[in-house]
Amino acid sequence: MKHLVTAVLLLLLTAACSSIECPVKNTVACYYQVNDTLKDTLTIFSHRKNGSDTILLNQSQNPTSFKLPLSYQNGVDTLLFTTKRLAVTDTVWLYKNDMPHFESVDCGVAYFHEIKDVKYTRKGIDSIIIQKTFIDYDLTNPHLRIYFKSRD
Amino acid sequence: MTLRTLISASISRVAISLLLLTACSLEAGAQRFLKLEKDSIPLFRGFAVSFDLAGFAQLQLGDYGQYEGALRLNLHDQYFPIVELGIGRANHDDDEVTGITYKTTAPYFRIGADVNIMNNKHTGNRVFVGLRYGFTSYKVDVSHPVFDDPVWKWDSTFELTDQHCNQQWAEVVFGLDGKLFGPLHLGWSGRYKFRISNNDASLGSAWYVPGYGIQDSSVLGYTFYIAIDI
Repeated sequence: MKHLVTAVLLLLLTAACSSIECPVKNTVACYYQVNDTLKDTLTIFSHRKNGSDTILLNQSQNPTSFKLPLSYQNGVDTLLFTTKRLAVTDTVWLYKNDMPHFESVDCGVAYFHEIKDVKYTRKGIDSIIIQKTFIDYDLTNPHLRIYFKSRD
Repeated sequence: MTLRTLISASISRVAISLLLLTACSLEAGAQRFLKLEKDSIPLFRGFAVSFDLAGFAQLQLGDYGQYEGALRLNLHDQYFPIVELGIGRANHDDDEVTGITYKTTAPYFRIGADVNIMNNKHTGNRVFVGLRYGFTSYKVDVSHPVFDDPVWKWDSTFELTDQHCNQQWAEVVFGLDGKLFGPLHLGWSGRYKFRISNNDASLGSAWYVPGYGIQDSSVLGYTFYIAIDI
């Protein structure tokens, strides 16, 4: 009986150990790849609920790629792309479906997204092509390929 | 026939002989282990019903756990086919760090068998090894109070309701069962669990699965039960 009690205590101690296994790569973002290098300085911002601006990419020089956050539940994200050398501002509308994603009660909330469409003005942007529609933790391949007009 | 071919053939013969020898000895061991002892004790020795105290305590003290009972058939004090039935429940309300609420209540079952590996099997005390197959089909509600989108500051909600999930799993069991007095037994079992298949619907990942436990930390499980022979 003494051995039985010892064994039970040992088992309970072992089983009492728990771990929090949230994904290490837990950033959900839209990965933009610039076709060739943009020979310019790029700033991207959007408008918050209260009307103030939020800068998503601050004066990135000659970017080849960038990753931008997505809103949790807006059906469309409105992004303003401003370039310095070619002093223009383009508006990009990213249409998406938002899907709540749960890992564990310890890991917080996350949203995955599915890109439905992209629309944009063409002052400095030439075109945007959707490469991958599903946006989750996987940021190995670009979701959007963006072509800017020549700065030469 | 070249020397190389001869050596290769010899190695093959030795390897095959060793494999056969190992297989034979394993088979003999398994046969000895599983062989029904020949004595005057009848094959059918009755039933036992048990109630898991560990899952009950877990449910009373924490926010998840299970009510679980089992019906165990006693064959010659050696083999114990068993059915375990339970209701698993999680009511994790408004996590203090993440604010997430996770709720599920669902039945589950396990079926399997234990083998008493004690030399003298008829003492009333038993040492078990066994296997289980478990299944549950359950619905999960996950929610979070309204919060601000971290960038845009719009009101956001997080709600997944009636997510219909299911899971199959297996367990390797080791347990001890001691006779207290009369028909009463007290015992525990330690379990190594592994998932066979699961469907988490559009949830992402289930957190608590009835009968299986917490997904990320429940490779090991345990029961501590009281049983009565019928």
